[in-house]
Amino acid sequence: MTTTKTIPFGMTIAPYAATSLARRRVLRSIATAGAVALTLGAPGLAAQADDTIKIGILLPLSGNFAPNGQQALTGMKMYFDEIGNTAAGHKLELIVEDTQGKPDVGVTKARKEVERDGAQVLTGVVSSGVALAVNDYSRENKVPLVLSGDAGADELTMPGPLTNPYLIRTSQNGRSVSAPAADWAYKKGWRKVTIIGSDYAGGVDTNHAFAQAFCALGGKVIQEQWPPIGTSDFGPYLTNLDRTADAVVTFEPGADGLRFGQQFSEFGLKGKLPVLDIYGTIVYEPNLPQLGDGALGIYSSLFYAAMLKTPENDRFVAELKKRTGNLPSNEGPNGYTGARAIADAITAVKGDLTDTMKFMAALKAVKFPSPKGDLSLDKYGQVIQSMFIREVQKVDGQLANVPIATYANIDQFWPFTEAEFAEYKYSYKELKGSLTDCGKLLAKK
Amino acid sequence: MIWVIHVLNGIAIGMLLFLLAAGLSLIFGLMKILNLTHGSFYLVGGYIGLTVMQRTGSFALALLAAAAAIALLGAVIERFVLRRFHLDELPQTLLTFGFLFIFADLSLWIWGGDPVMVRQPRILAGSLPMGDYGYPIYRLFLIAVGLVVAGALWWFQEHTRLGTMLRAGVDDAEIARALGIDVSLLFTLIFAVGAALAALGGVLAAPILSLYPGADFDALILAFVVVIVGGLGSLKGALVGALLVGLLDDFGKAFFPQFALFTVFVPMAFILVVRPTGLFGRR
Repeated sequence: MTTTKTIPFGMTIAPYAATSLARRRVLRSIATAGAVALTLGAPGLAAQADDTIKIGILLPLSGNFAPNGQQALTGMKMYFDEIGNTAAGHKLELIVEDTQGKPDVGVTKARKEVERDGAQVLTGVVSSGVALAVNDYSRENKVPLVLSGDAGADELTMPGPLTNPYLIRTSQNGRSVSAPAADWAYKKGWRKVTIIGSDYAGGVDTNHAFAQAFCALGGKVIQEQWPPIGTSDFGPYLTNLDRTADAVVTFEPGADGLRFGQQFSEFGLKGKLPVLDIYGTIVYEPNLPQLGDGALGIYSSLFYAAMLKTPENDRFVAELKKRTGNLPSNEGPNGYTGARAIADAITAVKGDLTDTMKFMAALKAVKFPSPKGDLSLDKYGQVIQSMFIREVQKVDGQLANVPIATYANIDQFWPFTEAEFAEYKYSYKELKGSLTDCGKLLAKK
Repeated sequence: MIWVIHVLNGIAIGMLLFLLAAGLSLIFGLMKILNLTHGSFYLVGGYIGLTVMQRTGSFALALLAAAAAIALLGAVIERFVLRRFHLDELPQTLLTFGFLFIFADLSLWIWGGDPVMVRQPRILAGSLPMGDYGYPIYRLFLIAVGLVVAGALWWFQEHTRLGTMLRAGVDDAEIARALGIDVSLLFTLIFAVGAALAALGGVLAAPILSLYPGADFDALILAFVVVIVGGLGSLKGALVGALLVGLLDDFGKAFFPQFALFTVFVPMAFILVVRPTGLFGRR
């Protein structure tokens, strides 16, 4: 169903969620009933008969996030095909299940893959909601979980109540994409920005990270607006935009981004206010041809750019284009990278996954050049990778996000250290409505 | 100047809502069918318009083709399915609910899950400068289309033989039948017209609101709100309700952004309390 585009936080979002509630309920009860029947029908753990290693893939392959899930799956399969579906002499078997982007379905499918099919690693996800639910399952049952879809909720990999030694995340976390954008904006000479963000946890988290980093440098947010997810007409918000700002900073995942981009130029704002699109939600690749020249000049920040010229990315883009006919957006490279992390770790432990902690250590030690750039992991299992500032330009007559600045080795706390980050008094949840108040954003405990 | 823009914007969105709600209201007024498939008529109509636009580049042709195709679809559904359950509300509502799901999945299958936008016709693209601001020409065009459709529907209802038959049918279908009016044909016709209006709304909305899986449900909810505010079965109610909802929504979001989620529903709840039948509803 719905969607999408870049849904970094991939929460059960809305254009879809609220309105198709009834449908979801019906589907959910059917799905749950079916899954319960399955698990009941196959008691006990499946024995690991041969030396095949089973990888349980959990992705939204139907429903609103289907396009994201499909591209992540394509990315994963591309890497596993590249290595002939073997690692350390063991055959790798992929078990693919559809989470529909729903937390309860996600857990049911995780349980099915592990307890019935004998999967030894879980990977994929996309929606933060599903990630939080499967994280609990992984922690309780000591099953390694490699988040390689968006699923950007910061809390998953930061010290705190959700800490899970059996988790790594190779996609990204919410704040790491926005903090470098703030740095770039400040260096560009912008001092006052107006913010528009989707009104949900992911939107607040993302914009808060921008505002905090921007304040720390000496900039200021002069206006914040929070349209509900699924806003169809941005007219009122665009008319209200403070024209004295140097730029407008946006985070509008899903169909909202497409509408925002279209209506922004429709209202004659293009050329008057530059746009910095965190996560590239407006300039998501499938949107570009639809926005046409109205998209030219929009800046965005993301951990990937299809136009990146590296040997890894050239090869990746060519193969993905061959398989799907399209340029990759963000989930393809994420899926591909997660697959490689798993395969590398399996090789490091010589295919013996019986010692889960040893396998987790191997996962956290992976380090390789990916289509997204060089990456490694921190001690919490969160990826440290490059961030790109891109600008929409015409390349060979086609609109594309061309990288114009690169921030290498961005970790989840950047630009702060972990200790500095822990010092701040308020979490993003308490700061919606206060992003214009630098004093509060930077208040220490 | 900023006020003028907010007013214009509220009216433009209101006109889209009117196209959506008019059909729903007409169909209910005559047949007492709560047609949940109306959301599909909107979305599938929009998608058909998109395809025609991509193939031919003509926005006018896209409007025509979508309206014609959805009118036919509506006629078929009424004639061969809903007809069997005349005045049997529960099966009718469930059937139309079922069709809503079927068309949602068919659209996902045919047009995919990424949100898509119909390109605005070139002459309507761009904006009209208004002081410091600009107002999109396409939205002015929406206002014009809405007024024309409202005028045409009013003329049809008040000044044509078919319109008289329609009013007779709404008042008392049985007596109308006894007087020799072919109510059966009228039902199919009105169902087709209502469906075509939703399709028009879908194509007209697509260049600004985009088409995506789930837009059918979103549109359906808004249409219901308008019809509840205006009164079920009344064209005048649909028009006034749509303008009211469009304006309240715009001003609410602009001046009370913290209530953005409820700007549409609070007025509805209020009107339900004061006038349970809606502003122009009967009974």
